[in-house]
Amino acid sequence: MSTEFIWQLPTAGDGRYAEATRLRRGERNNNTQSKQRAPFTDGVTDPRGERFNYFDYLHQVARAADISGFDGLRIVHDFDGDDSWIVAGYLARGTRHIRLLTEFEASWGSSVYAAKNAVSFQRATNGRFAWQLVQGADEASRRQHGDNLPQAEVLARIDEFITVARGVQTKAPFSFKGRYFEVQDGGFRGPLAGNPLPPIYLSGGDEAALALSARQADVHVFNAAPLAELAPALASLQAQAAALGRSVAAGLRIDVLARETLEEAERDADREQSQSGARAALVGSYEQVIDALAAYAEAGVTSFLLGATPHLEEAYRIGEYVLPALRARLASNEQQAA
Amino acid sequence: MTIDIFWRIPTHGEPSSHRARTPFRGDWFPGNDNLRKAGLGGGGADGFNYLDYIAEIAHAAEISGFQGGLIPSFPMTDEPWVISSLLARETSNFRFMIPFQPGFLNPVVAARMTASLQRATGGRALYNVITGGGGPAQLWWGDSADHDDRYTRTTEFLDVVRGVWRGGPFSYNGKFYQVENAGLAHPLSEEEFPEIYFSGSSDAALSSASKHADYYLTWLEPFEQLREKFRRVKEKTDLLGRKIKCAVRVDVIARATEEEAWEEVRRGFDNVDPATLRQFLGQDGSDSVGAARQRGNRPTTINSYKDLITEPNIWSGFNLFRGGQTQGIVGSYQQVAERLDDLVQLGADAFILASTPHLEEAYRVGEEVLPLVRGHGNSQLLRAVG
Repeated sequence: MSTEFIWQLPTAGDGRYAEATRLRRGERNNNTQSKQRAPFTDGVTDPRGERFNYFDYLHQVARAADISGFDGLRIVHDFDGDDSWIVAGYLARGTRHIRLLTEFEASWGSSVYAAKNAVSFQRATNGRFAWQLVQGADEASRRQHGDNLPQAEVLARIDEFITVARGVQTKAPFSFKGRYFEVQDGGFRGPLAGNPLPPIYLSGGDEAALALSARQADVHVFNAAPLAELAPALASLQAQAAALGRSVAAGLRIDVLARETLEEAERDADREQSQSGARAALVGSYEQVIDALAAYAEAGVTSFLLGATPHLEEAYRIGEYVLPALRARLASNEQQAA
Repeated sequence: MTIDIFWRIPTHGEPSSHRARTPFRGDWFPGNDNLRKAGLGGGGADGFNYLDYIAEIAHAAEISGFQGGLIPSFPMTDEPWVISSLLARETSNFRFMIPFQPGFLNPVVAARMTASLQRATGGRALYNVITGGGGPAQLWWGDSADHDDRYTRTTEFLDVVRGVWRGGPFSYNGKFYQVENAGLAHPLSEEEFPEIYFSGSSDAALSSASKHADYYLTWLEPFEQLREKFRRVKEKTDLLGRKIKCAVRVDVIARATEEEAWEEVRRGFDNVDPATLRQFLGQDGSDSVGAARQRGNRPTTINSYKDLITEPNIWSGFNLFRGGQTQGIVGSYQQVAERLDDLVQLGADAFILASTPHLEEAYRVGEEVLPLVRGHGNSQLLRAVG
């Protein structure tokens, strides 16, 4: 499998450095409760009115990722932001190539209904939909969102969700009775049958999550970690999948801060850290970032889920200065290996 | 008060006319599960698919003066949540009426999806809440709740959606749903709550509707039956302390003359195959009260399309042409407008109209019929003058 590069779409806000945690670029609501955009002084006319909101900006980020050569866009599931499924639909017809990787939790609702919505996406986008089922936060947070499942059962529900979603897409009639989902004589027929299955991305760092991915995932996404820490988990995933006769792609979710020189990168990283408390995981010159990502690729990572703030400008930067050289490096490595 | 008029999006495929099944726009029609042909040109390198045609219908509807359209959801169709979000950016005024069953979605998720759709469209989302026909059909969707329980669930579902809408903190401990300290995040919490069109004919349905619905939505039924139904709905909901309006979903065939309109019906009827006719006279397995009411209106033998004319300008064979309701309005532009005004007099406050093909007919009905509808104006006087 060739290596894929997926850009991040922050659904709850984006802006320059520290602003990113509270700003939604383009947002029309400019009230005092949430500083949605920088106000002009009374001396300057503000022509924006209420015509735009954050959706218009999200559309620009998606177009940026598409134009600058990313393979996909991960639409982040964030309760402070807009719903990932609605955002995916909003972006679908304005984009041409990128896969829309939609992140959500299995507490969403009926897995049959989710699968049916996914098929509609596949039909309308020529197969560009993908989904990432995440475990969500702790029990209290999940109860806030109408989800009363004990924490210990979250993975089991994801497991059933996938079984049912795959079942109705690939078989009719399909019946299943589990602990969380039930369907009888179901399954999609006619034009809703036989569509390409949306690739399934799963995540989680513990052995149970890896075991689930070995059975059910197309891609398992690891959080950013030094290569030495990641290597045993990568090996465990591959071994468990191989034991089941499957192969699961390894993904890496990592933020990058790449500049022409290391000095510039470090200066901006300090600025970001001092203003927002966050620190990019991978900081360096373009060459250094390319080297580091190539090292992950050599260790077996084939799916990179990259992000950088602000996501519009940085999509172009990474698309122009990192991806072409990195792709060329990986291709030449492959050639040498062959 | 003015009348709101919606159009319908034919998610269930589209023949090129009422007269014949083919040529067919879209990739599925009742009785043919295997048809699969993307795009009107046959699919292929141009990348067009049925959604591109649906987009054209949405544009036609908004250009010709409809509020928006109902986007039906059936086992064979694409889903209205997806279609609405796909068309959000490229439409201007079109309001997306989304039918869904509460059992399919976590209500907090539904609230977030709806608020985001409101943000994406500038407040153009609305619900058609359906509680479901029950039996095996529900289990196809993965839903096992029984009939009366399902209305309790609908009520609870809408309680939660409303509860979290303004931001909370909202807690709820129902039979089906429990939430703790829930609420939509800002700025999602600033959006308008969607209007709710509510379907269902049983007493359990009416109790639920009276709590949450803005419009009680029904198919067209015999006029006297409908008068009684609207009276019962308004009486029952008044008693429960909430004023709701009534809406009628009805197919129309409108032409310059009545003769041309009936000729369209005759040609369509003559093209109906015998198997479809037999099925039409038979029974289906649903436990929906509305479906039984529709079935009760049919004669038991049919020799001509005329046997299905049940009232002036009312033909009760529309589901021979496509799935769904039996009765529709057939007549000249003026007659169709008059029958709609008759329904307004019976208590209707909104309509969802449809005619095949939905693109061309959106323009025809929008240009020729809608300007003749008087609504709650002084219709008798204006008609005498006109």
